[in-house]
Amino acid sequence: MGAKVPPDKQRRSGNRSFRAKSGAVGSCSMDGSNAPKDDLELRSNREWRCHPGTAGNRPSCSLSVSRVSYSVSDRVGPWWDLPSYRKKWTRQILKEVSFYVESGQIMGILGNSGSGKTTLLDAISGRIGNAGNLLGDVYVNGHKLKREHFQDCFSYVLQSDNLLCYLTVQETLTYTARLALQKHSVESIRKKVDSVMAELSLSHVAGTVIGGRSFSGISGGERRRVSIAAQLLQDPKLILLDEPTTGLDSMTANQIVVLLSELAQKDRIVIVSIHQPRSELFRVFNQIAIMSCGELVFCGQPEEMVNFFSSCGYECPEYCNPFDLYVDLTSVDTRSTEREVETFDRVKAIRCAYEESDIYQRMLDNIEGARQQRERHPVPFKSKESPSDLCKLLVLLRRNTKNLLRNRIGILMRLFQNLIFGLFIAFFLMKLHEDVLKGAIQDRIGVIYQTMGGTPYTGMLNAVALFPALRAISDQESADGLYEKWHMLVAYIIHILPLSVISVVFFTTFLYWTVGMFPDLIRFICYTAVVLVPHVVGELLALVLLGIIQNPNIVNSAVALFNIAGILVGSGFLRSSQEMPELLQWLSYLTFQKYGCELLVVTEFYGLNFTCGEKPSNPGTGVHPCIFSNGIQFIEDGYPGAVSRYTLDFLMLYAFLPALVILGIISFNIRDYIAHR
Amino acid sequence: MEPPAWRYRDGLFAGPDEDSSLYFTYSGAPNVLEVKQLHYQVNMAAQVPWHEKLAEFRMPWEIGRDDVSVIGNLNLKVQSGQMLAVIGSSGCGKTSLLDIITCRDEGGKIASGELLINGKPSSPQLVRKSIAHVRQSDRLLPHLTVRETLTFVARLRLPVHFTDKQREQRVEDVIAELRLRQCANTRVGNEYIRGVSGGERRRVSIAVQLLWNPGILILDEPTSGLDSFTAHNLVITLSRLARGNRLVLLSVHQPRSDIFQLFDLVVLLSTGSVAYCGAAKDMVPYFTTLGYPCPQYCNPSDFYVDLISIDRRSREQEAQCEQRVRELTVQFWDKVKDTDDFIWRPTEINGEDSASTSDTSSTSKAPEEVINVPAKSKDQLPGSLQQFSILLRRQVSNDFRDLPTLLIHGCEALLMSLLIGFLYFGAGDTKLSIQDTIVLMYMMTTLTPFAVVLDVIAKCHSERAMIFHELEDGMYSVTAYFFAKVIGELPEHCAFTLVYAVPIYWLAGLNAETGPFLLNFLIVWLVVYCSRAMALWSASLLPTLQLSSFMGNALFTTFYLTGGFVISLENMWLVAAWFSKISFLRWGFEGLMQVQFIGLKYKMTLGNFTFHIDGSQVVEAMDLNSDPLYACYLILLAVCVVFMFFYYLCLKFIRQKSSQDW
Repeated sequence: MGAKVPPDKQRRSGNRSFRAKSGAVGSCSMDGSNAPKDDLELRSNREWRCHPGTAGNRPSCSLSVSRVSYSVSDRVGPWWDLPSYRKKWTRQILKEVSFYVESGQIMGILGNSGSGKTTLLDAISGRIGNAGNLLGDVYVNGHKLKREHFQDCFSYVLQSDNLLCYLTVQETLTYTARLALQKHSVESIRKKVDSVMAELSLSHVAGTVIGGRSFSGISGGERRRVSIAAQLLQDPKLILLDEPTTGLDSMTANQIVVLLSELAQKDRIVIVSIHQPRSELFRVFNQIAIMSCGELVFCGQPEEMVNFFSSCGYECPEYCNPFDLYVDLTSVDTRSTEREVETFDRVKAIRCAYEESDIYQRMLDNIEGARQQRERHPVPFKSKESPSDLCKLLVLLRRNTKNLLRNRIGILMRLFQNLIFGLFIAFFLMKLHEDVLKGAIQDRIGVIYQTMGGTPYTGMLNAVALFPALRAISDQESADGLYEKWHMLVAYIIHILPLSVISVVFFTTFLYWTVGMFPDLIRFICYTAVVLVPHVVGELLALVLLGIIQNPNIVNSAVALFNIAGILVGSGFLRSSQEMPELLQWLSYLTFQKYGCELLVVTEFYGLNFTCGEKPSNPGTGVHPCIFSNGIQFIEDGYPGAVSRYTLDFLMLYAFLPALVILGIISFNIRDYIAHR
Repeated sequence: MEPPAWRYRDGLFAGPDEDSSLYFTYSGAPNVLEVKQLHYQVNMAAQVPWHEKLAEFRMPWEIGRDDVSVIGNLNLKVQSGQMLAVIGSSGCGKTSLLDIITCRDEGGKIASGELLINGKPSSPQLVRKSIAHVRQSDRLLPHLTVRETLTFVARLRLPVHFTDKQREQRVEDVIAELRLRQCANTRVGNEYIRGVSGGERRRVSIAVQLLWNPGILILDEPTSGLDSFTAHNLVITLSRLARGNRLVLLSVHQPRSDIFQLFDLVVLLSTGSVAYCGAAKDMVPYFTTLGYPCPQYCNPSDFYVDLISIDRRSREQEAQCEQRVRELTVQFWDKVKDTDDFIWRPTEINGEDSASTSDTSSTSKAPEEVINVPAKSKDQLPGSLQQFSILLRRQVSNDFRDLPTLLIHGCEALLMSLLIGFLYFGAGDTKLSIQDTIVLMYMMTTLTPFAVVLDVIAKCHSERAMIFHELEDGMYSVTAYFFAKVIGELPEHCAFTLVYAVPIYWLAGLNAETGPFLLNFLIVWLVVYCSRAMALWSASLLPTLQLSSFMGNALFTTFYLTGGFVISLENMWLVAAWFSKISFLRWGFEGLMQVQFIGLKYKMTLGNFTFHIDGSQVVEAMDLNSDPLYACYLILLAVCVVFMFFYYLCLKFIRQKSSQDW
C-alpha cells in the first residue's frame, strides 16, 4: 500500500474517485503501480460511506430481518420405493436468520451451494410460496411488513435474464417503464429510461437488439445490466439480486458488483447473493453475511469479519482471499462421517461465537432501534401506478408485436405452415371429380377431414414454439407485480390473430381453387371463415394447456390427442352421429369439429350433382357406391337438418374462440395460484 | 517457497489421513502430449449449423469465408505426472485448444503445426483410447440415481477383469471423493425434472470420467458452477491423479487463489497465444521481471488474466490492450523458443528445478498404489454383448422410473382406445355396418401410430446429447446401443399396443374368434411398430426436434393420405400410387380389412331391397385385395426392418449432436 494521498483530497473526490476505481477493476489499465492506490482509495471511500454522521442524520431507510425460518416437508424416497415414499420429513432450509441493513449499504451473502442463500432472498422478497412454513418477521423502517406487501417493497433480480430477444435495450426498458409507470408522460418515461441507462452505462448499446441463441446481440454482462435496469425503473429502495455474477467472466462480474455498490451509495439497500467473489470485492461490500446449512454464521462489516475469525482462532493469511477461506471454514464436509462431525462442530462453534459477539448484539440493538423509530419514515414502496388492464394490454400488445415482427423465422413459419400442409393435400389429391365411382364423395370428405384435422395442429405448433419464451417473461414480470399472467396471454392472442387470418387465407385460396371445390366466391369465403376457427382453436388450446403444464412436449401430444378425439367424435365422417352411444352424442356437442364439419359439408355439397360412371346415376341398379346422386342427399343422410342449421352452426363455431380465451385466462390464473402456493 | 498459509489451508481441506490416493496409479506407459507451432483458424460462418442458417434464410452462397485465427503459434509439451492448467478469460481459445487436442473441433482447420500424443499425431481412435474428456455441459439420464448412473458406467467402462465387488468399490470411492454421498440415491434430474443440484450434477459428470481411470484426463472448466469447497477438493483430486502418473490438462477461467496454488504448470492464454507457460509459483517472478508485479492481497491469476485480456469497452483501450498482449507473447516466445518443452524456468535454479519435477513424477507415488493392474489386460473392455445387456438394463430402469411419461403414454393409449371402442359400441346384436367397419379398420391403423410418432421423436431428442457424447467417448458401440434401444423399448411397445388394440376390438364387437383376433392384433402391433421405427429414423436423421417432428408428420401424412381410405386406391395418380406401395398404413389397412371381411356375409338394406354381400366383395370394391394376407404381414415387417436399418445407419453415420432449445 504505497500511495500517499492526503485523506481530505480523497474525501473531496468522493464519488468520482470511486467511479475511477470501478473503471479500473479488471480493466487493462490496471498495472502494478496503479492497483494498490485503487485499493486505498476504495478503503477510504468505504470509511466515508460508513459514517453517515458526516451527512448529518440517520439513513433514510433500513431493513431488518428478524428470526426468519423456513421449512418444507418432503417425501423420503422416490415413488417406486413405496414404504419410504409414504414417509415425510421436515427439512429446515432457513434457521432463525436475522440481520440489519441500512440505506447506502451493499450486503453480500456468501455460502456454498445448498446453504440457503437463494431461499433467503426468496423469503425476503415474498416469492417463496406457501408450500413451506415461513416464520419470522421482516421490518422496513421499523414497520413490520405484511406478506402481501413484500413484493411491492423489494425489487428482485433473478439469476436468469428473461428478455425478448428481438427488442433493443432502449425498447425493452421503455416498455417495462410503461408497464410500471403508466401515468407518466411519454417524455418523462423517456427521461427515466435514459437516466437508468446512463446509470448502468448501457447508453452505448441503447439501439442494439438483445439477441438470442442463433443471432448475436449484446454481451452477457450487458444483458445482466438490462435486467437490473428494468428493476431500477421503479425506483426501488431495496434491491435483491440472486447470484448476479454467475455465468459471467470475472472481469464483467467485478464490474457488475462495483456497479451495484454504486447503486447502493445512492441511498439504496442492495443485497446480493454471490458465489466465488474475488478478493478485490472484499472492500466493496459494506456488510458480509455467511450462510451455512440455512444458518447465518456471521454477518458484519468486512473488517469485523477478519477480526472475528481471527478471534475464533482462524487467522486469515496475507495472500489469501478471505471470502474463500471463511466460506470454506463454515461449510460442512460430507465426504466422510468423521469429517462431517468435525466440520459441523467447527461451524457450530463459530456460530456460537458470533452470537456471543458484540457484532451480533449491535445488530439486535439496531433492529430494536429501528423498530422504535418507525414513526419517522414510512415504508418505501416501489413507485407503481397500477394502470387499467386495458393500458397494460396495449403496452404488452405493442411489445409482443414489435418483437414478433423482427422475428423472420417466426413470421414465415406462421404464414406458410398451413400452406405447406395444403400443398400436401393438393399433391396427393390433384383434382376433385364429379363421378362418384372416381371418388367424388370420398375425396371431398377427405379434403374436409384433412382441413379440420390439420389446421389445429399447425396452430398448436406455433404456440408451442413461440409462447414458452413469453411465458417465462410473464412469470417473472407478474412476480414483479407489473401485470397479471393472463394479460400476457390475451396480448399474445390478439397479436397473433391477424397473422392467423392471413395464413388461413393463403391456405384456403390455394387449396380451394387448386383441387376444384365448389366454384363460388361466397362459398369460398364461408370455407375460409370456417377453417380459420380450427386453426385458432388449436393455438388457443395449446395456450390453455401451456398455462398449467410446464413441458411443451407434453402439451404437444395432449393437443394432438384432443384434436384426434374431437374429430373422431365430432366430425360424423367416421361414425354417423345417430349411431353413436348417447354419451358420445352429447359429448360431440362440445367439439368444435362437429360444427365445423357440418358447415364444411353443407358449403361443399349443397347443390352439387354427381355422376355415376358414364351415365347419370340410377339408384335402382345395385352397386353401393352410387347411393347418392346429388349433394343434398348426402347431407340429409349424414347430417339431417344441417342446411337449416347453417347460421346456428356458425355462431356455435365462433363461440369456441371466446370460450377458450376465458379458459385460458382461468388456466393462467391457476398458474398464478400454483406459483404462490 | 510455499507460504505457511497454504500449509494451513491444506489442513483445512484434508487431513493427513486422507492424503492417500483413492485411485490406483496409471500403470500404462507414460504419456506425452505435444503441441507444436499450432496455428488454428476458425471459419465463423461454419460455426453456425446448417439448419440454423436455413432458418435464418441465409443461402450457402451468401456466407462469406471469414477465417479468424483463434490460436497462433502455440507450443506445449506435457508429460505424465504433470497437471497443466490453461488459464485465460473467456474467448481466449481455451475450449478450442482442448477441442483440437481431443479431435472434437468443428468448423475450424489447423493452418500449420501438429499435435502429438506419445509422438503419434492425434486421431479420434487414439483420443478415444487414451483420453477422458469432461465437457462443460452435463449430459446424463435424468431418471437414474447418482449411484446407478455411475454403476452403469463402471460396468461399461471398466476392464473385464474387474469383479463386481471391485466395481462397486470404485463407484463408492468416486462418490466419496466427489462428495456425492448425500445425494447418491437421489435421481439426477434435468431442467424439467427435479433432481440433484446443478453443482452436484456437474460432479456426477466428472465422476463418470474419473471412473475409468484414464491415462490422460482433459477437463473443460471443471470448477465452474462448483462451490469453492468442492472446487478445491476437485483440484486436489486432480493433482493427486496427476501424481499417479497421469497427465491432467484442464481449462479454468477464474481460478481462486488457493486453487491456483495447487496447479503445478500453468499456461496463460490470451487471444490464442501463450503469455506465460511454466510453474505456477514462477509466474509472479516472471511477470515481475517484465515490469508487472502482482500487488499484495491480490490473487495472481486474477491479476494476470486481467492484464492479458482485451477490454472491448472502448476502441482505444482495445488497441492498447492488444498492443500489450502482443508484446507479452513475443517476449515470452523469445525466452522459451530454445527450450525443449517451452516452459519458462527462472534461470538461476533451472537445473535443480527440473530435476525435482522429474523426481516427483517418477518415484513419489509408488506407496499410493492400491491396486496394481497389469498393463496388458487394461484395454479389455466389455464386449458388444455385455455392453448391450448393460445398456438394456440402463434403458429399462430409466424409462421405468419416468412415471409421468409412462402414465401419459398409457392414458393416451387407453383414452384413444376407449374412445374409438365406445364410438363403435352398441353394435351388440346388430353387427356394425360395412361402412362403419371400414372406417373402424382405418382408424385402428392410423390413430395410435400418430401419437406414437410424436412421443418417440420427443424422447429421442431428449436422449440425443447423451448418446452423442458417450459414443464419441467410445463408451459403447453403435450396434450395442441400437439393439439395447430397440429391444429395451419393446416391452413398452407391447404394453402400449395391448392397451390400445384389445379394448377397441372387444368394445366394437368384432369377429370374436381367436384366430382373427390374433391376426388383427399382430397387424396393429406391426403398424404401430413401423411408425415407431419411422419416428426413430427421422429423430436421428435431423438435428432439431422441430425439423424431426416436421419430417415425421410429413411422412405420416403422406402415408395417411395414400393409405387407400382418404383417397381411393384406384383414383390415385401415379406418384401417389407409388407412395401407397410403401405406405405401412395402407398395408395395415389392407390386412385388417382382409382379416375382418373375407369369409363373412353382410346384409345390406337399401330402400326396399335387401342384398347379401360377401365380405370379399367389399374388399374387392376398395381394391384392397391386390395381395394375399400373408404378403401384408411380410411387407409390414419389411417396412419395419428398412426403417430400423435407416435408423441404424443414421446413428452410425450422422453425428447425434443435440440442439434442442426448449
